Amino acid sequence: MIEINQISKSFDRKVALDGLIFQIPKGQIFGLLGPNGAGKTTLIRILNQIILPDNGTIRVDGKLLNESHWKNFGYLPEERGLYKSMKVIDMLVFLAKLRGMSNYDALKNTNYWLDKFDIKEWSNKYIASLSKGMSQKVQFIAAVVHEPEYLILDEPLSGFDPINVELILNELKLMKSEGKSIILSTHNMQSVEEICDDVVLLHKSKLIASDTVENLRSSVKNGLFSIRFSGNMIALANALWTDFELIETKELGNNRFQVLVRKRGERTFEDLINNLMGKLTLEAVEEKLPSMQEVFMSLITKEEVLHAE
Amino acid sequence: MRNSLIIAKRELRERLENRSFIAMLFIGPLLILAFIYFLLQFGDQGKTNMKVLIVDPSGLLENKITSQESKALTYYFYDDYIEIAEFKDGKRFQEFDAMIELNEKVLINKKVFLFYREAPSVDLKMKMKFEVERRVEEVMIEQFTQLSVNAFRQIKQPLNIDFRSVYDPKNEADNSSSWVGFFFGLIILFFISLFGMTVLRGIAKDKSNRVAELMLASVKSRDMMLGKIMGIGWAALLQLFAWTVLVGLGLFVFKSFFFKDIFDASSFEGIQMSEEVKNEILTNSSIAKYNAFIDLIYHRINFWVMMPHFVLLFVLSYLFYASFFSAIGATAGTESDGQQFVIPIFVVLMVSVYAGYLSVYWPDSQLAHLFLYLPFTSAMVILINISNGFAIGSYIETMLSILILIVSSGLFLSIAGRLYKNGILAYGHTLRLRNLLQWLKKY
Repeated sequence: MIEINQISKSFDRKVALDGLIFQIPKGQIFGLLGPNGAGKTTLIRILNQIILPDNGTIRVDGKLLNESHWKNFGYLPEERGLYKSMKVIDMLVFLAKLRGMSNYDALKNTNYWLDKFDIKEWSNKYIASLSKGMSQKVQFIAAVVHEPEYLILDEPLSGFDPINVELILNELKLMKSEGKSIILSTHNMQSVEEICDDVVLLHKSKLIASDTVENLRSSVKNGLFSIRFSGNMIALANALWTDFELIETKELGNNRFQVLVRKRGERTFEDLINNLMGKLTLEAVEEKLPSMQEVFMSLITKEEVLHAE
Repeated sequence: MRNSLIIAKRELRERLENRSFIAMLFIGPLLILAFIYFLLQFGDQGKTNMKVLIVDPSGLLENKITSQESKALTYYFYDDYIEIAEFKDGKRFQEFDAMIELNEKVLINKKVFLFYREAPSVDLKMKMKFEVERRVEEVMIEQFTQLSVNAFRQIKQPLNIDFRSVYDPKNEADNSSSWVGFFFGLIILFFISLFGMTVLRGIAKDKSNRVAELMLASVKSRDMMLGKIMGIGWAALLQLFAWTVLVGLGLFVFKSFFFKDIFDASSFEGIQMSEEVKNEILTNSSIAKYNAFIDLIYHRINFWVMMPHFVLLFVLSYLFYASFFSAIGATAGTESDGQQFVIPIFVVLMVSVYAGYLSVYWPDSQLAHLFLYLPFTSAMVILINISNGFAIGSYIETMLSILILIVSSGLFLSIAGRLYKNGILAYGHTLRLRNLLQWLKKY
């Protein structure tokens, strides 16, 4: 577990991080979210010991973060960078050795990952000759080649096509299942919804939310329910009565419909089921939770309003 | 330190895989050797084949000269007076390239004039001087002594009066030796300029292609900077070593095969000389002096003393100056930014050259002493002092100067490390003095 305790950092009187406190549990995919300039990159650099905080401490598995943790951390920076004049295999071995691996292990692991990503034939290609996507894959391998316990990924999916996005996400899930912790900083909310367990939301150097993805989505839910049924729309309108408001209708054919309704007042999911039962042939009813994109926007807007007041 | 070494090895390997670096390993020495060859080959540019008319109205030389067959010099004798104008314009003298005028009192006043139409080469000058002198000597022996020529020459010992300062009784402060140190100092400055800029560009490139951030997540910024400096320094040393070996080999080949005559006094045609004369010719004669370069590279360099100091000062000075270059490379906003801060470094390097010049001509001046202790200029001055040798006890000044250089290198590397740490991940600015001062304070 990584414990972040009262971390603050300023640059020329500009506060980048302001007293952050939260924990990153072991064996999770942890989302680090926030708009541009929120302080994510500063926090990531502090976690990677690239810069030091002005105040506060970070503990990794109970021990204060120090140079011995370098070998346990992997890092994929947002701004990708590799030596263009080096061959793929040499670059990866070089970076693995910097993380404390022996030449033999570095070479063995590099070959393993090149094989795994089916890019063994790139081994002796120069970085300069790689396409952006290829380069991204090599950069990802560079972050994981030394088998880190904690993996910090800053926008890991940018530059990948959908197939490779899937490949990377599956790889992250696999690492999580192996008990590794992944800290994911991204603006891709769909991937956050898909793979993140806990997230923190930073805004203007402060922590404004910290919870599981599900709890955050529930916390800003807006009473929307999705219904798929067979029947007719008059029967639906009668069933909803004044308790629920019809927002959106989609005809699926053969008298099948998919609709979105919003509750009125203090109505609940049970009220909706009771209203619909016996009046329509129900195929599916579910509460429509807001997307992480909506959660993100909602929390930021709320924070902005509070700040303005 | 482990990571610094890994980074240094990568830097060295990158350079070794760079074709232009490999090319320079050979092209540099070849250019130097070509330059030396040019100096040796064409340094003695005078006329090499002459008909010489010896005007000897008193018949002193008896139409003889101590010489063996030589294609370069042919002597003719004339037993009457010739005016210079007559020799110059007279039709019958046009075939002669030079006229040696022996006056009647030559045995007393030892004065002989040689008038030439086209300046003879130094080799011929020396040969004529030597041959006429030897013949006159034979005449003198015959007239004034009862000795045979050989007996006279055996007892003849030249009296050498060597003028020396009471402060430098061993004549260690010989000015020409100083140029050896100056030459070595220039090599250091040359390599610092060349590889200092490589350090600057390498760091600026790491920064601009964003590889720096990736590496800083696994290595201390100072270790990263040191690795870069070390790796490029190794490349510089390798190049220096290759240049030294190749140039040394080339000089040996020149001396042994191409320019044997210049260095071997016994090879002069038709001249039988004693060892003393040979040595004198080699050390004092115009042959050895006509090209100071020969003297410098073959006689003045004491490699066993100079090289250890040279390597030490090379490393220390490189580290000292590399700290400035790396600080600028790390704090520059872009690869092309920071040029204005490079100019002062080069000005300081030029001051080093001036310090060397000053130390050669005025080694005891206050300014020369000051330059000895300034880390910016000390390498040059120390090398000049070393080339001059040391009086007993005076080496302590050099040791102090080296110590100052070591401490300064450490201090400036430390300051550069701070600038490196704070500047390497700063983008999108134009480097100003304000940035440097600001990043000096932060840590």
